[in-house]
Amino acid sequence: MEIKVGLVGCGGRGTGAAENCITSAPDVKLVAMADMFQNRLDQSRKYLEGLKHPGVRVEDRNCFVGFDAYRKLIDGGVDLVLLCTPPGFRPQHVEAAVDAGRHVFMEKPVAVDPVGCRRVIAAGKRAAEKKLTVVAGTQYRHHEQFVETVKRMREGAIGTVRAGRIAYNTSALWKVDRKPGESDMEWQIRNWINIDWLSGDHIVEQHIHTIDVMVWAMGGPPVRAVGSGGRSVRAPDNGNIYDHFSVDYEWPGGVHVLSLCRQWNNTDQHVGAYFHGTKGVAAPYSGEITGPSAWKYRGAATLGTSYVQEHADLVASIRSGAAVNEAEAVSVSTLVAIMGRQSAYTGRAITWEEISRSLIDYSPERYEFGPLPARPVPIPGRVP
Amino acid sequence: MSITRREFVAASASAAALAAAPAAFARGDDTLRVGLIGCGGRGTGAAEDCLRASPGMRLVALADLLPERLKGCRDNLTNPSREGGALPVKLDDEHCFTGFDAYARLVALKEVDLVLLATPPGFRPIHLAAAIEAGKHVFAEKPVAVDPAGIRTVLEAGAKAKEKNLAVVAGTQRRHERRYLETMKRLHDGALGEIVAARCGWNQGRLWHVDRRKEWSDVEWQCRNWLYFSWLSGDHIVEQHVHNIDVMNWALRAHPVRATAVGGRIARVEPRFGHIYDHFCVDFEYPNGVHVTSTCRQIDGCDGWVGEEITGSLGSANPAGSIDGPNAWRFKGDSPNPYVEEHRDMVASIRDGKPLNETQAVAESTMAAILGREAAYSGKTLSWDAMMKSSLDLSPKEYAFGELPVAPVAVPGRRA
Repeated sequence: MEIKVGLVGCGGRGTGAAENCITSAPDVKLVAMADMFQNRLDQSRKYLEGLKHPGVRVEDRNCFVGFDAYRKLIDGGVDLVLLCTPPGFRPQHVEAAVDAGRHVFMEKPVAVDPVGCRRVIAAGKRAAEKKLTVVAGTQYRHHEQFVETVKRMREGAIGTVRAGRIAYNTSALWKVDRKPGESDMEWQIRNWINIDWLSGDHIVEQHIHTIDVMVWAMGGPPVRAVGSGGRSVRAPDNGNIYDHFSVDYEWPGGVHVLSLCRQWNNTDQHVGAYFHGTKGVAAPYSGEITGPSAWKYRGAATLGTSYVQEHADLVASIRSGAAVNEAEAVSVSTLVAIMGRQSAYTGRAITWEEISRSLIDYSPERYEFGPLPARPVPIPGRVP
Repeated sequence: MSITRREFVAASASAAALAAAPAAFARGDDTLRVGLIGCGGRGTGAAEDCLRASPGMRLVALADLLPERLKGCRDNLTNPSREGGALPVKLDDEHCFTGFDAYARLVALKEVDLVLLATPPGFRPIHLAAAIEAGKHVFAEKPVAVDPAGIRTVLEAGAKAKEKNLAVVAGTQRRHERRYLETMKRLHDGALGEIVAARCGWNQGRLWHVDRRKEWSDVEWQCRNWLYFSWLSGDHIVEQHVHNIDVMNWALRAHPVRATAVGGRIARVEPRFGHIYDHFCVDFEYPNGVHVTSTCRQIDGCDGWVGEEITGSLGSANPAGSIDGPNAWRFKGDSPNPYVEEHRDMVASIRDGKPLNETQAVAESTMAAILGREAAYSGKTLSWDAMMKSSLDLSPKEYAFGELPVAPVAVPGRRA
């Protein structure tokens, strides 16, 4: 059975996801592409066609640009859509895809605010009813080393978990300077990673991976988050997000996990997750368990193979009819990241209950090129 | 010349002990004469606590950088109708010193037995070294330094104090607080099993500040507004949060081996707040892979938390008096004011001829806070050993009122 794939969001990650998808299994064909901008779509199409892979078969009439490009693509003849735009658009894209009966691969994070997370959870439920597969780009859940480490930990290899720590300490990402005559909306979308309503801030956009591993390993979301953060290195004109966060996530029984993330150039980098139990430490990022049940992952899985594996799992589930549905899990992890962000922005402790009911909604009133003043950088103690 | 029994007992002690004995005993009465260096709020409070904690105390000298601070403190401490009753104070103008060298003139007084060091911490290493050199017992407020160079000076002075049989007691008063002492005893006896992790925090609103006046030089304004300049305060992680970090070192009976941190200045950004950060979070790694989370914040309108928590394989403890788990326990009973207890313990140890020396502990707690601060300022994962050898020295070229541009706010990744 041939699977026709449409790509929504033709940036670096979208292009990568399309390549991962078509190479993950035979007879998977990229047939349609959509992006906000013609130049981004052309660039991506050129790269993918340059692969000379039989899985790339995109015709001009199946290429769409603009704010409604996603809808035109979804309404066309595709089986599976890859949703890879900036995360601020994800909820509306997931809803449209599920409502049109498409299987979905969606990049992480799946929303930037609590309202968006609930929209994705609801769409995920409709997908389940329709037996559609929804897989998320939290690829560690498809990475054998992580799967095996978390499985052992959940089975008690480190005894009872008493504490943990996760980190995504890395360099600054890219930024796009504004061009003369560019509207607020256009510049913000081109520079999306630095804008709150599009990326959700880096704790949501990037650290979501480590947070997802934490939520997975801990068996569910924390009950409370106490965070802080700020801008120690970002230039004043570079977007309205932070460059570092620290969050103390708390689970019942007084189990605390420290979450650190920062995007600081020329500093020590570290990405990892560690769970300290009564009998040892589990470290999924190094595939290691210490203590009396010491163990080390010896398999061949790598981060690279996990990017392909998530698509292989997705395609296999579509073909077998045994729908996989990761919508809720990735939405919960996204909301945990948002919970930490909101605690840092406000300076208040935020409970899971509060964030689950929160009406915070970052989406703009209108999706059109034009004026859109950016929200000021949040100052703790002064943000409601 | 008559001789009191007490003098006789003192004189009967071994020659070596007599040689090392404090001036009070040699002089012929057992009054401990106290000099206060640093006449701000904490110094004034420390003097009162010291004078009230034990009988036979007398405040005989004051020193401060600023004449009006000294006068305010002198008026306060000599006020006969002050709350709690008159204090044993005997001060005259010849025993009151101001200026940058006031401390040196105070420690040079033969009649002073004990000095209380309560200036901004940037001055502490110099003052401590001078006091020990002059053969005085010392009560030193926390923190005891702001940089590794200062820490090394303090450790040397502490070693010298040991040789001279002089007391060095630190203002990390939790170590003298009964509910902490009782909990720590149980923790060290294994009530939590093995310690797995710990957390500590000092999260509160902003503190006071002093706006600049045009008649003040850079240095004078910075000394008056000292909380906000790292060469004076060490930043708030060192100046304030050191208390909680001290409890971590105490509970774990170790100092951190490594630190990774974030921090910044997000809410308290105006120039009147100098160049320090308003929040830090440090992941301290202790021996055996035990990690301690440290958070501190001075931002108005945010949720607060000041405290410590120790997590073990068998349960958790709040070192301020409770243990959960199979060895559950709650501190009950009286926990006297630790700010007084620390002075009572110090004076008792001096009178017993076994002076307490807390230099190592408070130097290590201060150093841990400095390590956390530098990890945040630099964005580097810093080791204890490297930091102990660091040449970082925040002290100004000279101690005099004059020009001293405010150092820029630290930007991680951009530090030499």
